[in-house]
Amino acid sequence: MMCASPTDATVPQRARSSDRQPMTPPSATSTDSTGRIVCRGLKRRFGDKQALKGIDLEVGPGGITGLLGPNGSGKSTLMRCLTGLIRPDAGHAEVDGLTVRGDGADVRARLTYSPGELNLYGEMRGDEHLYWLLRGREASAHDRALEMAERFDLPLTRKVRGYSHGMKRQLCFAAAMAPDVRLRILDEITDGLDPSRRGQVLDALRKDADSGTTLLLSSHHLGEVDRACDRMVFLNGGELIADESPASVLERTSRLVHLTYAEALNEEQLARLQGPAVERIQPSGRRVSVWIRESDPREFLAAVAQLTDLQSPRRIEYGSLSLAQMYTDIYGVRGV
Amino acid sequence: MRLSRDARNYLLFGTMLFVVLEALLAVAIIWWPSFAENTGVLKRLAAPLPMLAEQLNLIDMIGVPAYVVAQHFFKGCNTLGAAAAVLLAMNAVAGEAQRGTMELWLSRPVTRRRLFTERYLGGLAAVCVPVLLTTLTIPALLTLVDETMGYWDLTLCAVHQCLFLGALYSLTLLFSAMGSQPLKIGFVMLFACIGEFALYMVKTLTHYSAFRLVDIEAFAAILSASSLDPVRAGSLLAVNVAAYLGGVVALERRVP
Repeated sequence: MMCASPTDATVPQRARSSDRQPMTPPSATSTDSTGRIVCRGLKRRFGDKQALKGIDLEVGPGGITGLLGPNGSGKSTLMRCLTGLIRPDAGHAEVDGLTVRGDGADVRARLTYSPGELNLYGEMRGDEHLYWLLRGREASAHDRALEMAERFDLPLTRKVRGYSHGMKRQLCFAAAMAPDVRLRILDEITDGLDPSRRGQVLDALRKDADSGTTLLLSSHHLGEVDRACDRMVFLNGGELIADESPASVLERTSRLVHLTYAEALNEEQLARLQGPAVERIQPSGRRVSVWIRESDPREFLAAVAQLTDLQSPRRIEYGSLSLAQMYTDIYGVRGV
Repeated sequence: MRLSRDARNYLLFGTMLFVVLEALLAVAIIWWPSFAENTGVLKRLAAPLPMLAEQLNLIDMIGVPAYVVAQHFFKGCNTLGAAAAVLLAMNAVAGEAQRGTMELWLSRPVTRRRLFTERYLGGLAAVCVPVLLTTLTIPALLTLVDETMGYWDLTLCAVHQCLFLGALYSLTLLFSAMGSQPLKIGFVMLFACIGEFALYMVKTLTHYSAFRLVDIEAFAAILSASSLDPVRAGSLLAVNVAAYLGGVVALERRVP
C-alpha cells in the first residue's frame, strides 16, 4: 500500500481487500515534537497496592521499546500515567516535549494510545467505530485507518459485536496507527491475534519505527516483543528491574539450559553435572537450570551425554524462555 | 451528515419521549369537557386523599389552565420526564465503567470536561426539548375543545418544568460520574422520586417534598404572574449548575 502522508493532496481511496500490499503507517512530520518520553519517580497507589514505585524511564526518540512484565507488574498503569489517563501520586512525566498534567488531552493529541482492555461499542459498525476512535485526529487519518482495516479484511459494515477478539484488536490497531504522530503507546497490541496477523502487526510497527516514530509496547509474551523491539524494559511489582537490548537478553537466554529429569537429582548427582563448561547450577524439583560459560551448548550437552550412569534427561530446553522463566531464572524474581 | 453515536441515542430517546408526552397530552385535552362536567363527582371520590382533593379544587377554581398544567406538567412530565432524566443520566458515565469502555472513551484527545459537557447537554436536550415542544402544541390542541392558553405563559411553565427535570438529571449524572453501577444509581434516584411523591401526597409533610416545586399551585403562580418565580427558578438553576460542575470534577479525577 502506498499510504499517504498528511500533506498529500490525494488521500488513497478505500482499497479492495484483495489488493494486498504491505502496510505502511503515515510518516511522522510534526516539527515541534521531541518524540521522547521521560518520566522521573512516577508513583501511583491503588488502595493498599503500590502499582508504581518510582519509575524512572527515558524512551526515544524513535525505536520500539517493549515494556514487559507479568500481570500486575505496572505496565498498564505506567502507560496510563504517560497518557494522562491516571494522575500519578508523585513524580513527573514528559511526553513529546509536553509535561503530562490535568486530564492529559493535550498530550494525547500528540500520541496515539491503544488500551490493553478491549471493550468496544458492540452496537457500532466497524467503520463507525473507527471514526469514533479517531475523533480529534486529522481527516486523512480516517482514510488511512479504513485502508489499514480493509487490509486486515475486517468486515467494516458489520456491527462490532460480531467481531472476534482478534478482529477488535486489529480495529484498534488500525485506529492507533493511522494518526500522524511521533509517539504511539500500545498496550498488549498483539494480544488475541493469530500468528500471521501478529506478524503483519509487528512488521507495521517496525516500518513505523523506521520512519522515526517512537513506539512503546507492552506485552507479557517474550517471544513477540524481542522480535520487534530495539529495547526491552522489564517491570515487576511496580519497579523497573531491567533495561536491556534484545541481543543481550538473547545472549543471556542462550547461556541457559534447562534439563528436566524423571526424578529430582540429589546433591551428588548435581555435582556430577558441574564441569568446565558450566558456570552455575540451580535445581528446582525435577528441573535443573544450568548456566553455561559459552552460548554454544554443545560442549555441555556432550558432557551430559557422557554421564551414562546418571538418568537421562526427559526434556532439554535451550534458547527460548517464557517471560515467567526469564523472571525467575534470569532476574531472580519469585512468585511470577 | 454523520450523527455521532451519542447524538443518535439522544435523538431517538427524545423523539420517543415527545411522542408519548404528546399522546398523553392530546388524550387529556380531548377529555377535558368530560372532566369539567364530572369535577364534582371526582372531588367526592378524591375526598379521602386530601392532597388530591386540593388539586381538584384548584382545577375547579382556575379551570382549563390548571387542568392542562396538572395533566401535562404535574402528571406527564413529572413521571415520564423524571424517569427519562434518570434513565438517561444513570448510564452516561457509570455505563461506560460497567461496559468497560471508560478507558476507550477517555483515551481520545478530547478533554474530559468536553466529553462530560457533551453528554450533559445531549441528555438534557433529550429530556427538555420534548417537554418544550409538547408544551407548544397545547394552544393548538386546546382549540379542539374551544379553549385557549397563551404561548408565553405555557413556555414559562415549560422552562420551570425543565429546570426541575434538569436538576434531577444533573444530580443523577453527578452520581453517574462518581459511580460504576448505573442500575444501582437509577434505582436509588427513582425510589427517591417515588418517596418524594409519596411525601407530597401526605398533607402534613407535603411541604418537605421536592414535587411541591412543580405542582399545580406552582404553575398557577407562574400563569398568574406571567413570570418565573425567581427564588424557585434560581434555586433549581443553582442545583443544575452545582451538580454539573460536581460531575465535571468527579470525571476529571476519575481513574478509568
